[in-house]
Amino acid sequence: MNIEKRQIIDSNVLSGEYYFASILEEAYTCGLLNDSDMENVQFQCIELLANKSGEYYAGGSSSIRAELAQSIMKSNLYTVGMYLKSLSDPDYAVSEIKKGRISAMYQKGRELVYRKYRNTKLLYELVQKNKINVLNYSYNATLNDDGIGIFFRSYNQDYEAHESPASIDYQLCNPVNDLAGVEFIQKYLENLFLENEFCRSFAARDIHLLLGGYDKGYKDLLINIFQRVLTAALGSCLLNRKTVKLQISQEEIEGLYMVLSEDDLQSLAPRINRAVEKLFADLNITDLSLRTYIEKSLPDIQSNIAHAVNTNTLDKLFASSTDPDISSKIQFYSGIKMDDEKYRELIDELLVCRYSSDKLALIRDKVKAFGDMEDLLLDAELSEEDMFAIFDILADIEIAALIKRHPFNSDIQAEDLSEAEQALHLYLKKYINRLPENRQEEIFQIVNYLID
Amino acid sequence: MAFGIMDISSSLIEKQAVEEIAKCNEYTSRYGLTLSHRDAVELFETRTFALKSNGRIEFAGGIIDKIIRGFCDSPFLSMHNYCETLHELIEIFYFYKNETLDLLSDDDLLEFMKISFDSTCQGSLELLAGRELANMARNLRCGYHPDYVEFLLNVKDDDSEY
Repeated sequence: MNIEKRQIIDSNVLSGEYYFASILEEAYTCGLLNDSDMENVQFQCIELLANKSGEYYAGGSSSIRAELAQSIMKSNLYTVGMYLKSLSDPDYAVSEIKKGRISAMYQKGRELVYRKYRNTKLLYELVQKNKINVLNYSYNATLNDDGIGIFFRSYNQDYEAHESPASIDYQLCNPVNDLAGVEFIQKYLENLFLENEFCRSFAARDIHLLLGGYDKGYKDLLINIFQRVLTAALGSCLLNRKTVKLQISQEEIEGLYMVLSEDDLQSLAPRINRAVEKLFADLNITDLSLRTYIEKSLPDIQSNIAHAVNTNTLDKLFASSTDPDISSKIQFYSGIKMDDEKYRELIDELLVCRYSSDKLALIRDKVKAFGDMEDLLLDAELSEEDMFAIFDILADIEIAALIKRHPFNSDIQAEDLSEAEQALHLYLKKYINRLPENRQEEIFQIVNYLID
Repeated sequence: MAFGIMDISSSLIEKQAVEEIAKCNEYTSRYGLTLSHRDAVELFETRTFALKSNGRIEFAGGIIDKIIRGFCDSPFLSMHNYCETLHELIEIFYFYKNETLDLLSDDDLLEFMKISFDSTCQGSLELLAGRELANMARNLRCGYHPDYVEFLLNVKDDDSEY
């Protein structure tokens, strides 16, 4: 029989971020601390703040800006809270507050902050090693030295221990709430490590195809990769495949819909749980922390599946794989540009030409590269008639390349353009509108296939 | 029970500070300058007000006794303007602690104030706050030496006008 000590303070109601303040509040409410204890704690905290402020200015200033004092105070409380969290239970922490000195607790907390910082740095290196090879911008930017890496250069353990100075855009499947400072970064990295660990069960190419099926422009989206991969893997398990694969065909999605549409929310849960067990077995996931993390991620996925079944949009959830690179397969090379000196001579000649036909003849004769043609359209102060004459001699692919590089912007975006660029946009748009519809379509199709 | 840093009772600090101010009379009496208990309390109130209006916190009695000891030998102080000048100096001091972005220590700021007050300002608090300290604070914020003077540039500008 397990006998557990009865706790007066419920640790579940304590804040992870403001642990010290919340434990004081709870202890005061439960009667473990009285008014005199609270005043004593408050006085000691002010004393600690006064010492830390003195240290901050190296004794050179007797006063301090209120917002800076507030920040140092928060940092002190955070550090003391870190020590109290490390104790066996909240009741013991309260007894420590009652009989111990706040400055001594701060020193112990400060050591813990330093130790946590070092462990977190090691964890950061591990996460960088197990990161997945994926094109998503927010994922890669968060994991590089200008993302979370900033934290290890900027974290101020003495005066801003409660802050997490880092650029973190990538959203986790299970976001880190109720933590601050180094604890937040540590938890974030722990979760990211587990997400990476799971995603590494699949080939990077398969993940790329899966995310491409979700959205061709997935590299710019703020999506959680792990959740997409786990959903697809669960889909695979729901199909009772022998091996877990991320790719699900349209027919299989329809089959899944038939099966899942028979379930309500209650009967869906055991089905998903069975799929998860199969997933653990098939991928040989034995790590308890990873299993727990996956189980923690299930409620969201389960409600997404239920919603998709209700709205008949399973094909959006289990997106069939698409290679986002296939559609953009035309690479346009503009050729080698002419010498600057020769280009200036050509522009001078064009500027003195009176007739469009003369200008056109010059251009035909001297311009051999698309890049030069593009520059010339901007520099040669051409009229509408001249421009149309030049567009007439261009092939569809060249017109498409011009559109790709000078898209028909809205009026608001056009305000940022130079006068010459605005003129080129205007004439190009007018020219395209005059073309027969089928040629317009052909040109725009090429535009879509062109690589930036 | 609220747990904030601004709620600390200041009565203890006030008592200590007023005692420290009163103690300064022993030193300043040789210059014919003394403060009554009431003056000391009022100076402390000015200090509290100046701290609050400038968004600052001070944990000990603070700067008043340093100002008194620093300025008491000024030829521009006498009993008829002593207390009034101290009130002004306290306000100016905290204002310029902020304006200098805390880049100067208390002692350095007080030294600058004292030298300027006795020399270029000739005892004028308006010139001290409005010209000398303002220039110095601007220099610090722009990354120049506190004593940096732009007069050479101004002379050049003036010449070009004629």
